[in-house]
Amino acid sequence: MRSRLVLVAGAARIASMTRGFYTGRLSYWSLVLPILVLIVMFFYIPVALAFFWSFFLERPFGGGSEFVGFQNYGRVLSDPEFWNAMWRTLIFMVVAPGLAIGLSLILALAADRSIRISQAARNIIIWPKAVAGASIGVVFVFIFNPFLGIFAPLNEISPGIWNPRIDGADAFITVVIAQIWNGIPFNFIILLSGLQAIPDMLAKAAAMDGSGPWRRIVDLQLPLLTPQLFLTFVLEFVGTVVEAFGLIDTMTEGGPGGATNLLIYKIYVDGFKAYDLSGAATQTALLMMFVIVMVILQFRLERFVKYER
Amino acid sequence: MVEDTRGIDRTALVILIVGIAFILAPIVIAFLTATLSYEEFVSAGGIGLNVGSSFLDNMRRIFVETQLPGQLWNSFVISILVAGIKCTFAFTATFALVFYDCRWSRIIFALTIATVMLPLELVVITTYQVVANVAMPLNWLIRITGLAWLSERIFGTMPDFNLSLLDTYIGVALPIATSSTSVFIYRQFFLSLPKDLPRAAAMDGASPCRFMVDVLLPLSWTPLVATFMFWFIGGWTQYLWPLVAAATPDAQPAVVGLAKLANAEPDDIPDVPLLMAGALFVSFIPVVLIGVMQRQIVRGLNLSEK
Repeated sequence: MRSRLVLVAGAARIASMTRGFYTGRLSYWSLVLPILVLIVMFFYIPVALAFFWSFFLERPFGGGSEFVGFQNYGRVLSDPEFWNAMWRTLIFMVVAPGLAIGLSLILALAADRSIRISQAARNIIIWPKAVAGASIGVVFVFIFNPFLGIFAPLNEISPGIWNPRIDGADAFITVVIAQIWNGIPFNFIILLSGLQAIPDMLAKAAAMDGSGPWRRIVDLQLPLLTPQLFLTFVLEFVGTVVEAFGLIDTMTEGGPGGATNLLIYKIYVDGFKAYDLSGAATQTALLMMFVIVMVILQFRLERFVKYER
Repeated sequence: MVEDTRGIDRTALVILIVGIAFILAPIVIAFLTATLSYEEFVSAGGIGLNVGSSFLDNMRRIFVETQLPGQLWNSFVISILVAGIKCTFAFTATFALVFYDCRWSRIIFALTIATVMLPLELVVITTYQVVANVAMPLNWLIRITGLAWLSERIFGTMPDFNLSLLDTYIGVALPIATSSTSVFIYRQFFLSLPKDLPRAAAMDGASPCRFMVDVLLPLSWTPLVATFMFWFIGGWTQYLWPLVAAATPDAQPAVVGLAKLANAEPDDIPDVPLLMAGALFVSFIPVVLIGVMQRQIVRGLNLSEK
């Protein structure tokens, strides 16, 4: 679920809690306890356990655990496969969100114009949000099938020009396209509602001063849209790290030759197929730290974002 | 506005047509292919614009040959649970955080918001461990407090509780429901209400609980409905967690069932028409939901302002 949006504004607003009205201790705690138990049980304990296992080695056949210090980290960090998966994750994190946000921006700017088709576009472009990544994968793997899909005619002209089953780059491209298809709706909604929140008055004033609609996009709409653009980048960066799983599992299974083996998929295979709990937990811990660092970096960037209107 | 906008409007028109085509293309291809029989599909040599007449037959095969109908029901129950738990827990907690005076509120708010930073997919390995035995923290507690030692002295055995929620609806739903975005959305909404609302209710003799149910709940209908729909769709489209938490086909949601079906097909010429019919079958409910409820969802989530 792409819901990191909360974090962006959330942390900044913790400081400004207002004083409440009621004071009952018992009713207060009975109201907050359900969510506290839920998140401690199924969020904080699993996160803590991942760090725990990254320092322990699980003995086979349920023989307990053994403290090994940083050995697990040493093993993971010296594994070239880990770095390959990390590198692919990084590339994927830059390419897919970049394209998804860029295309969403163009679509949102177009849909913001009051022409007849924009109402239909606003409704239809949001549909992929309701389609699971794995379902998209099942459809796209057929569309890009080298012998049955849309590029099959190309292969008849010159065999082997397109084959995501053998060519790693082709496979990576198919996953990126599927991710873009899946990623457009949410970015589109955020950017479009940002555009629509820009007061009409500003556009009118700018028009009065002689700036045409094209000029207004560059000098008025885009600068005022930076908060929403920032938000979409935060959401997409963290989102793509995990969302690619459904696509990879149904489209390429990490192949060919590991070309689409992103870290999230590698962790799954190591943990649930190879039963390497400590290795998977260590990579989980590293990926979590990576995500947290990314989010903090984005907060730093936020200072350059214009919020006042 | 009186100005010449024909140039830009024409460009916008072209862009939107291309965008709609890109979004609709996979859906149309899936639909067209789902109308073909396997023989028609093979003889056509793959993707094409032919319309067959086997759509109903493919749908019938989904009911007869696959487990997708039962799994659709699983998806439905799991999504309702996810959305229901998220909305009710977040609603009561946010009510307490905003309308009660308590110094713990800040910490609790920070704790709930932090869950948003790390998606469930990142920590599936250890979440699986916890759900495989939800009594694990209880065992730790017994050991830490020395109760285990005591019972070993008296009864000669260490108590070791074991309760697995794997393969159950609730076990699949609970970890998905931890991401507490709703707390933030409801908090924003509550803070936008008049400050004297609880005071006025108290003057009329309403208890906090009464205020929450009779005043706050009806007022919050828009964000509640929007978040419920949004999390319902979010629960429906989950893949990695249900994949590991529900090992038996009887407990798996439809998306997992579809992926298993696709992976079980042979690689050379799989039964694509059946798979495409399956993909439509699995995605039908949430897509209709988002198509119909789009306006309410966008308005209720309040995305236009940060």
